[in-house]
Amino acid sequence: MSTVSVRYIVNDVDAAVAFYSQHLGFREEMHPASAFAMLSRGDLRLVLVSPVGADQPGGGSRPMPDGRKQEPGGWNRFMLEVGDLAATVEALRKKGVHFRNDIVTGVGGKQILLDDPSGNPVELFEPTRPEARLASP
Amino acid sequence: MTPDPLNALRLPIVPVVPRPEFAAALLRRLEEREAPRTRQTATVRYFVNDLDAAVAFYCQNLDFEEELRPSPVFAMLYRGDLRLLLSVPGGPGGAHTLPDGTVPEPGGWNRISLQVADLAGTVGTLRERGVHFRTDVVRGVGVTQILLQDPSGNLVELFEPRARYHERGAR
Repeated sequence: MSTVSVRYIVNDVDAAVAFYSQHLGFREEMHPASAFAMLSRGDLRLVLVSPVGADQPGGGSRPMPDGRKQEPGGWNRFMLEVGDLAATVEALRKKGVHFRNDIVTGVGGKQILLDDPSGNPVELFEPTRPEARLASP
Repeated sequence: MTPDPLNALRLPIVPVVPRPEFAAALLRRLEEREAPRTRQTATVRYFVNDLDAAVAFYCQNLDFEEELRPSPVFAMLYRGDLRLLLSVPGGPGGAHTLPDGTVPEPGGWNRISLQVADLAGTVGTLRERGVHFRTDVVRGVGVTQILLQDPSGNLVELFEPRARYHERGAR
């Protein structure tokens, strides 16, 4: 059951679906058009869209009224909790996943930022305090 | 007929969007149980320039509730099963600054997408409060939607499912 929706803009929906499914444990819910797919993982519903023209279907990825086009990237991201961050990172590096930084230790846990094929960030997180956990105990 | 003198004390009836999923999530947190055990709260991190302004914006306009605010550069909000982390770029510890010195910043196009029961009504209310919208209401395939900006320029999408298209994905 997915109750939270996040929309990511990607350049290639097929590549993004493969990436999130194969590396990060997402399940494909629907992929009804080349510019749109919906994945899920736990309570997170991830909507992947590629930019479309102003007159095309796909209301979420059209240009703005002032003509600005939507594009991947930025720093805002969803986070995924993992049990063993170091091991997860090592496994993903072997698969060729690109990381923006190395593991850093914050207040509530250790974290790292990876890039999807379009350059969107995803944060992996291993809590070191119980209140920082994302998943149930 | 004499008007009821107590009417002056009664609050106006404000329509409230039912949020059973929020109530369920709140109950789970209060009772410190999570069911089923594999359940995960979806978590999103947004960067904001002004933490106070951001917390006020999300709580007052978009029904978020403040959960934690342990420092001037970090807050944790909830809305249903969504946990929204607000971080100020370049805060102490530099947990988010990249090794090459790049500091994260607000903005971009990726966003959380919040379902509302009455999009037109919600948009009208928010416009009256001065919320800035980047688009008008757009009709997509399965939803009508609109994009608004928080005070730091981060996007939030509001959507209302059209007909019954969304039900399979929503529950």
